[in-house]
Amino acid sequence: MMANLFSIFEPSSSIFNFSLNWISTLLGLMFIPYLYWASPSRWSLCWSEIIFTLHKEFKALLTPYSLGSTLFFVGLFSMILYNNFLGLLPYVFTSSSHMAMTLALSLPLWVTLMLSGWINHTQHMFAHLVPQGTPSILMPFMVLIETISNIIRPGTLAVRLAANMIAGHLLLTLLGNTGPSMSSSIILSMLIFSQILLLTLESAVAIIQSYVFAVLSTLYTGEIN
Amino acid sequence: MKKSMKNELKIEGESYKTQQTAIHKRKKRRPSRVHSVQSPAILLIGMLSRLAARTVQEVRPLVLVRPTSTSAVQRAEQRDEANFPRPVRPVEPGKVRLGFVPEEWFQFLYPKTGVTGPYVLGLGLTTFLCSKEIYVMEHEYYTGISILLMVVYAVKKFGPVIGQTLDKKIEDIEQSWRDYREGSIIQVKESMEKEKEAQLSAKGQDMLFDAKRENVALQLEAAYRERLARVHSEVKKRLDYQLEVANVKTRLQQKHMVDWIVKNVKGSITPAQEAATLKQCMADLKALAPKA
Repeated sequence: MMANLFSIFEPSSSIFNFSLNWISTLLGLMFIPYLYWASPSRWSLCWSEIIFTLHKEFKALLTPYSLGSTLFFVGLFSMILYNNFLGLLPYVFTSSSHMAMTLALSLPLWVTLMLSGWINHTQHMFAHLVPQGTPSILMPFMVLIETISNIIRPGTLAVRLAANMIAGHLLLTLLGNTGPSMSSSIILSMLIFSQILLLTLESAVAIIQSYVFAVLSTLYTGEIN
Repeated sequence: MKKSMKNELKIEGESYKTQQTAIHKRKKRRPSRVHSVQSPAILLIGMLSRLAARTVQEVRPLVLVRPTSTSAVQRAEQRDEANFPRPVRPVEPGKVRLGFVPEEWFQFLYPKTGVTGPYVLGLGLTTFLCSKEIYVMEHEYYTGISILLMVVYAVKKFGPVIGQTLDKKIEDIEQSWRDYREGSIIQVKESMEKEKEAQLSAKGQDMLFDAKRENVALQLEAAYRERLARVHSEVKKRLDYQLEVANVKTRLQQKHMVDWIVKNVKGSITPAQEAATLKQCMADLKALAPKA
C-alpha cells in the first residue's frame, strides 16, 4: 500500500536491512543476447546493430587518443537504457531514478576526467575555459562561467537522469492511482489511453536520457584532449 | 603394437579402456621404470600376466571407466551420440500460445486436463488471486494493462516487418560466408586451370627451345661454311699470286733471254757478213723474180 506518492521509489524489499530492490540494476544483463552459434539470432543482430551505431556515433566525438573508451560509453548507455526501460514495466524498481545510482555514475566519471585532464593537459584545460571566438572584454566572465559549468557537470548529469525518471514515474503513478476508484468504463478507457500515451513518451524519454548521458560523457572525455 | 594388443584383449574378453586405465595406473605408480629394449611379444605376455593378477582385485564396471589421457579428437569419437546428442541450432523460435506460454506446457497438461486445461488453470488462478486480494489491482496494474496493449499492438503491426528485415540481414551474413567459401573454391579451380595451361605452355616452351637450338645450330653452320669459303678464296688468292709471280718470272726470264740472244746475234754480225748476206738475198730475189 502506498504511504505517500513517493513510496514507489523507496527500495522497500529488504532482508535484514539489506535492500534487495537494487538487484534490478542488473536485470539488463538478462536481456543482452549471448552468441552460441556463429550466425546471429534476430535479437542479437538487433542489439549488435544498435551498439555498433552507437560506437560509430561516439567514435566521431572522441579524439584519436581515447577511441577505446567507446567500449565504456556504449556499456554505460546500455546499462542506463535497460534500467530506465525496464523500470517502466510494472513492479520493476527503477534504480536510475535514485540520485544514489546516477550520482554514483556521474561523479566518479567527472572526477576522473577532471583529474586526468588537469594533471596531464593543464595548458589545454585552461585554454578550454575560454571558448573560441569570444570578444576580449568578455574573457574573464567566460572563464567564470565555464568554471561554474564545469563544476556543476556531475550534478547536472545525475539530476537530469534522476529527475526525468522520477517525473515520468510520478505521472504514471498518479494516473494509475485513479484506476481503482473508477466507476464508468468510458473514463477507464480514457485513462488507459492517456496511460498509453504517457508510456510512449516515457519510453522515448528513457532511451533519450540514456543516450544524452552517454553522449555528454563522451563529449566531456573528448574535451580534455 | 597398440593394435595388436587391442586385438589380443578383444579375444581375451577385456575392454581396451580397462586395459588402458590399468596400464596408466601401473605407469603412475612406478614412474621410474627403465624401459629396456625387449621384443614386443615378451612385453605383451609380461603385461598381460601382471594385469591378470591385478584385474582380479580391481574389478570396476565399464560405465565408470574414464579414459585418463585422450585428446579432443578421441573424445569426439568416443561421444555417446544417443544420450548426449550434439546441439542443433533452432531456426524457428519455440512455439508459444497467447504470445508467451510455451507449447510444451500445454502438451504436458493435455493427458490429464485435455485441451482446455491450461486455459482453465490460467483463468482460475488469476480469478483466485484477484478475488482474494492476494494480487491487488493498484496503479501498477493499470500501467501493466497499458503496456500489454502497447506491446500487443506493436508486435502485431511492426513484428513481421522487423522480423523480415532482420531475417534478411542474417541471410546476408550467411550468404557472405557461403560466397566466401564458394569464391575460394572457384578461385582454387581457376588457379588449377591456369596451372594446367602453364604446364602446357611450358611444354610448348620445350619445343620453342628446340627450335631456337636448331636455329642457332643452323646459324653456326652457315657461319662455318662462310668462313670455310673465305678461307678457300684466301688460299686461292695466295696460290694465284704465287702462280702469277712464277709466270711473270718465267716471262721476264724468257724475254731477257731472247733479248740477250738477239743482242748477241746482232752484235756478232760483222759488216762483211752483213754485206754478203744482203748480196745473197738480192741474188735470190732476182732468181725468184722471173718465176713470179
